[in-house]
Amino acid sequence: MSLGWRLLLAAAAALPAVSPAWAQGASTDVVIVLETQPDQLDPCQASKSQVGKVIKQNVVETVTEIDPTTGQVNPRLATEWSQVDDHTWRFKLREGVSFHDGTPFNAEALKHSIERTMDESIDCEIRVKYFGGLTLEVTPVGDYEVEIKTSTPTPILPTLMGTVVAMSTATPKGEITRDPIGTGPYRLEEWTPGQQIVLTRTDDYWGDQPAVTKATYIWRSESTVRAAMVASGEADIAPNIAVQDATDPEMDFSFLNSETSRLRIDAEIPPLDDRRVRLALNYATDREGMRGTIFSDKVIPSTQHVVPGINGHNPDLVPYPYDPEKAMELLAEAKADGVPVDREIILIGRHNLYPNSQESLQALEAMYEAVGFNITLKMTEAAEWYDLLFKPYAEDRAPNLFQEQHDNNNGDAVFTIFVKYHSDGGQSTFSDAEVDDLIDRGGQATGEERTKLYQQAFKRIHEEIVPDVSLFHMVGFTRVNPRLDFTPSIATNSELQLAEIGFNNS
Amino acid sequence: MQKSTLLALLRSDRVALVAAVWLVLIAGVALVGPEIVGKAATSIDLRARNAPPFDFSRDWVHWLGSDSLGRGILARIFLAARTTLGIALASVLVSMIVGGVLGIVAGLSRGRLGKVIMRSMDVVMSFPSLLMALIVLYVLGGAPANIVVVLAITRLPVYVRTARAEVLEIRERAFISAALVMGARPFHLALHHITPLVLPTLLIIGSLDFAYVMLAESALSFLGMGVQPPSITWGLMVAEGRGYLASAWWLAFWPGLFIMLTALAANLLAGWFRIANDPTLRAAQGDASHA
Amino acid sequence: MNRFVLRHGTQSLFALLCLLVLVFFLARLTGDPTDLYLPMDASLEQRAAFAESHGFNDPLVVQFGRYLAGLARFDFGDSLFQGRPAIDAVLAAFPVTLKLAGITLALALSLAILIGSLAAWRPRSVFDRIASMLTIASASAPDFWVAIVAILVFAVSLGWLPTSGMGTAAHWIMPVGVLMVRPLGLLTQIVRAAMIGALASPYVKTARAKGAGKSRIIFVHGLRNAMLTVVTVAGDQAATLINGAVVVETVFGWPGIGNLMIQAIQQRDFAVLQACILVTALAIFVMNLLIDIAYSRLDPRIRNA
Repeated sequence: MSLGWRLLLAAAAALPAVSPAWAQGASTDVVIVLETQPDQLDPCQASKSQVGKVIKQNVVETVTEIDPTTGQVNPRLATEWSQVDDHTWRFKLREGVSFHDGTPFNAEALKHSIERTMDESIDCEIRVKYFGGLTLEVTPVGDYEVEIKTSTPTPILPTLMGTVVAMSTATPKGEITRDPIGTGPYRLEEWTPGQQIVLTRTDDYWGDQPAVTKATYIWRSESTVRAAMVASGEADIAPNIAVQDATDPEMDFSFLNSETSRLRIDAEIPPLDDRRVRLALNYATDREGMRGTIFSDKVIPSTQHVVPGINGHNPDLVPYPYDPEKAMELLAEAKADGVPVDREIILIGRHNLYPNSQESLQALEAMYEAVGFNITLKMTEAAEWYDLLFKPYAEDRAPNLFQEQHDNNNGDAVFTIFVKYHSDGGQSTFSDAEVDDLIDRGGQATGEERTKLYQQAFKRIHEEIVPDVSLFHMVGFTRVNPRLDFTPSIATNSELQLAEIGFNNS
Repeated sequence: MQKSTLLALLRSDRVALVAAVWLVLIAGVALVGPEIVGKAATSIDLRARNAPPFDFSRDWVHWLGSDSLGRGILARIFLAARTTLGIALASVLVSMIVGGVLGIVAGLSRGRLGKVIMRSMDVVMSFPSLLMALIVLYVLGGAPANIVVVLAITRLPVYVRTARAEVLEIRERAFISAALVMGARPFHLALHHITPLVLPTLLIIGSLDFAYVMLAESALSFLGMGVQPPSITWGLMVAEGRGYLASAWWLAFWPGLFIMLTALAANLLAGWFRIANDPTLRAAQGDASHA
Repeated sequence: MNRFVLRHGTQSLFALLCLLVLVFFLARLTGDPTDLYLPMDASLEQRAAFAESHGFNDPLVVQFGRYLAGLARFDFGDSLFQGRPAIDAVLAAFPVTLKLAGITLALALSLAILIGSLAAWRPRSVFDRIASMLTIASASAPDFWVAIVAILVFAVSLGWLPTSGMGTAAHWIMPVGVLMVRPLGLLTQIVRAAMIGALASPYVKTARAKGAGKSRIIFVHGLRNAMLTVVTVAGDQAATLINGAVVVETVFGWPGIGNLMIQAIQQRDFAVLQACILVTALAIFVMNLLIDIAYSRLDPRIRNA
């Protein structure tokens, strides 16, 4: 017996004293801990948020740059642009810019970049997401100017060019590359899939030299872990942590992240085809009860599926108040008219759609059952959720409420309103000729008229159609190590510009 | 072995007794717990969100704290006990019965059938069970019945192999050989002469397996491929509490502790049961204690 | 002996083939990855074109034929999401899991032999009782829960260890420690039981009577006798370790095979999923083969069969 104890104690004593050797390297290096790893780093996927957070504006740069708070289009690789006719635009390019492989950025390079992005044999997200059904014909006009002809009149082409990135002509067409060569202030130094990505600063960037010399990207799916890593000095920036982990006002920044959450109501299936039932759902939703508990106290109850600041957002709409009595009245009325309000309604949710998403659904389920709805919660994985999000919907589906979140940080309501509310949109659940007409006319118009038409559409959708329970304009929390001088913003969702990071002690 | 001697044996082993008492308590909770806590386990109170444990001024269901929707954690544990233990018990029963039958058939059949059974068990054995379960549950969805089936399948080989080995040994015994020579029908033989002999061994394996299956179900739920909300198991409670690790440790801690204590009790009791049932082991234990 | 190994080998290969067929069709029952891959705003036409160009609309049998034809050329298909050959992704992840499992098993085995032997020296002594209790407790511990409690205590509260990830030696302590918990418990119990038997054997008793040193009796005479049982169980544990590795990799964010497979399942990245299963099953197959060969050399009954 005594031998046993002695050996065990010896073993315990032999455990080395552990020092935090895993912590920081040089003082101008930063470590950024993301939620998920990017599967690809191809420049033409830069619009995917997990790809964009690493390479967008760091390794590869866009032609124009959109200010996410105002929607205004600013110069980046293009210095100025003008419309020639309905179908044609000209872009003047910045001179003296070169790619990391030494080749110059010029009209030919941009032509190559656009053609590769629009190539249908690879599935570039920039093409699929922003240029569906549109074809571009690029003609160099001298070394530093291009003319772009579009297949249909495209008044927002300069905005769209804010999504297109320039890549070296060495980037092969027709296949996905794992070696992004751009014009940005950082080059891809190392990529160990599953483990880390390292960017290092280049010496010959055309703009001001940023302060950060090296950025290492790692990823952890747990918000708690990400937050703890910044607190302990293992990492410097942790985007998108959950509200319960954002406990330190010194380190945690909150900002509207351009996401809006809602429950889509399947307005084609009884009893949800009755407007009173849809209104009842809205009145039964205690948004204030969820704010400051499940959601941050900084979220804004929403009235429409785009955030303020997006062209077309209607500031005059008011959220439905929490009024369970009114909800019950509406339900009773509908019931008296023979609407089957007792029918089981499926509340379809998705794991981790946003922090605490599952809790919010359980709370909503309880609120709806409290006014007399018969709700069954069904949680889905991403794959199943996507199946249910898109048309064609199953013919024999049950009446359902569908949890979703949508981000539009591209300045214009068109990226939202058609898909979600037009009867031809891939995710709409009702069809209304007047809404269709407003959306169609808005899409063709420019300037104030465009804004007005979209605002009218949102008003009709919110007040007359009621095809959703609009929840909140969401808030993101990013934890930043106090040694950094960096304020996350609405754009941090889709890009994280290393050039904006400074150091407090250096 | 007589029941009364078993009880006497149990009383003489304090550790086993404590384990048995815990299991009886938990079984009681699984049986009537959800009815006792009633609405308290499901009604939401956002003001009590993540209320800390040991506040004895509140209702007893909140003594272990409240979860992220303000529901008493003890109430949730009571509610989840039924699903957790139910799935584990059902899986063990299904794999024991199906595995036992297949094993006896494989043992009695000298032909192709036996070979097919054993080869398919090899297929099941040839791959990490958790990965297999993940794939199947992803296809089928995490309904409790599906989990029972998947867990039962992954445990099947143990029972099939044991039952078959026992049968192979039993069929060489004189009275079975005699019965075979006299032309007894295999079915009759299996039911009346072999099953009673194989059953005790299978029961012991089943009791050992219970903890294993419960841990497997918890791991599946934890990975998000098991039971889905609003259904609840202890494993799922740990998974849900994981997001509050830094701010409210009690969400994930208590259900995990219940899993551990219950698995521990089941393992202790199963080990004791095995020894109590095996005269040679019992003798060895007694002998060893004098050494 | 060779015939025995050969027969087991072909049987395992057959099992592997069944597994592949099963997984191929099961995975595709969940639908195709089109919606997951394309952005939410993609139009219906774009979705249809994508599914068509990647062959998701072909009959399953045609897709399976294409897969087998690829396999014959050692082409495991490309990962849709990663834009590289699936086998590359798997071969990058596999060594991580192998190393994790290998180190854990070696450590668990050494510790189990130490504790189990000492416990067996005087059964029912205080050390034995405590060790037995602890090992049963550790065999009953839910590994995922132990992992998150460990993160809470050692990384978040005390700040002694990094929360997760790999890199320095400090990163290995928690994952290996957590993964070790259950096998350690089981193996210690096995060692203890085997050692009690071995120590009671006549020739160990003789050695004891002759006054041989304690450690010599345990680690030379006793252990040699107990080893065959222990190695058998440890072999079984190796496959089970992969189960635990899935959980540990998920919690600690390790880029191993378990993490990759869960990701592939969730993304419906079929090529990666199939390659994962193929490589894992092959590894287990090779391990079983080695164990079979070892047995056939050690155990005279099998040698002569």
